Amino acid sequence: MGKDSLKTRLEIAKSKISEKDLYKDKKPPSSIGTAFKLSTELVSAVAVGTIIGFILDKTFGTKPWLILIFFFVGVGAGIINVFRSAKNMQK
Amino acid sequence: MATNPMHQFEVYRIGPEIKLGTIDISFTNASLFMVISSLAILLIFNLGSKKNSLLPSKVQLLTELSYIFVSKMISDTAGSKAKPYFAFIFSLFMFVLFCNMFGMIPYAFTVTSHIIVTFILASFIFVGVTIIGFMKHGLGYLKLFVPSGVPAILLPLIIVIEIISYLSRPVSLSVRLFANMMAGHTMMKVFGGFVISLGIVGGWLPLSFSVALTGLEILVAFLQAYVFAILTCIYLNDALNLHH
Repeated sequence: MGKDSLKTRLEIAKSKISEKDLYKDKKPPSSIGTAFKLSTELVSAVAVGTIIGFILDKTFGTKPWLILIFFFVGVGAGIINVFRSAKNMQK
Repeated sequence: MATNPMHQFEVYRIGPEIKLGTIDISFTNASLFMVISSLAILLIFNLGSKKNSLLPSKVQLLTELSYIFVSKMISDTAGSKAKPYFAFIFSLFMFVLFCNMFGMIPYAFTVTSHIIVTFILASFIFVGVTIIGFMKHGLGYLKLFVPSGVPAILLPLIIVIEIISYLSRPVSLSVRLFANMMAGHTMMKVFGGFVISLGIVGGWLPLSFSVALTGLEILVAFLQAYVFAILTCIYLNDALNLHH
């Protein structure tokens, strides 16, 4: 079996398998991964919001108020994050 | 000490203490495993790309398949504009993957189970993506924070929410990788400890759990590297193709 016959056979095989078929058997991501992704999206936004509120409170000396406001803004951002990644998953 | 499930995450110094000013930059076991992973990547991909034979060897096949895998991932999620960033995403994916996989070897240290490592990786991505976004769109990149079709009264609130949502990206990216790796390795250690403490009579059940967990952990190690890379692609996509 020469190199040429292998080449022709490769060509034939390549033409049979289009690139689409190669990636067709994509499995959906595991549910644990999905759940974990959504939960970190929510928690991280809340954490970032709270940290921003804490820093702003320290710089302006308005102790409890900005951290409270930014906590809830962070919750809102977290919900938006979850909403977006859930939308991405449905694609 | 050996039964403490958190003992495996301890960072200790190897060799002499090196100080840069007040910062301790000594060589630790974490640095050792980062070096090992990087060297392994270099070795495998050098061997794999050295000979370009028509009938690929196993190493060449591995190299080519991983190349195709990553380039497919980039073009699927970030489009053709992201092609120049292939090298970065490929090395990122391979580094995280190899660090995770080296952590699966008994007695090895899992670099990615430390939040500082993953957070620095994620921060670099975050800063880089932000710079790319501003370079491509100028100040128009700020439109990312202003979704269309929002009434003007709500705009101040929405912008703050969007900024926090944007800032939370590196946090969620790093926490996800770190928590997955740390939780998995702790769980494996805990079940391993059960095997010892229950002895030959009752130790079989936790042993079988341990075996199953090892398989699951290898899956998680791959999956988390994949998720890390694909999220980088998604963020890059947001920076390159501005639309909301």
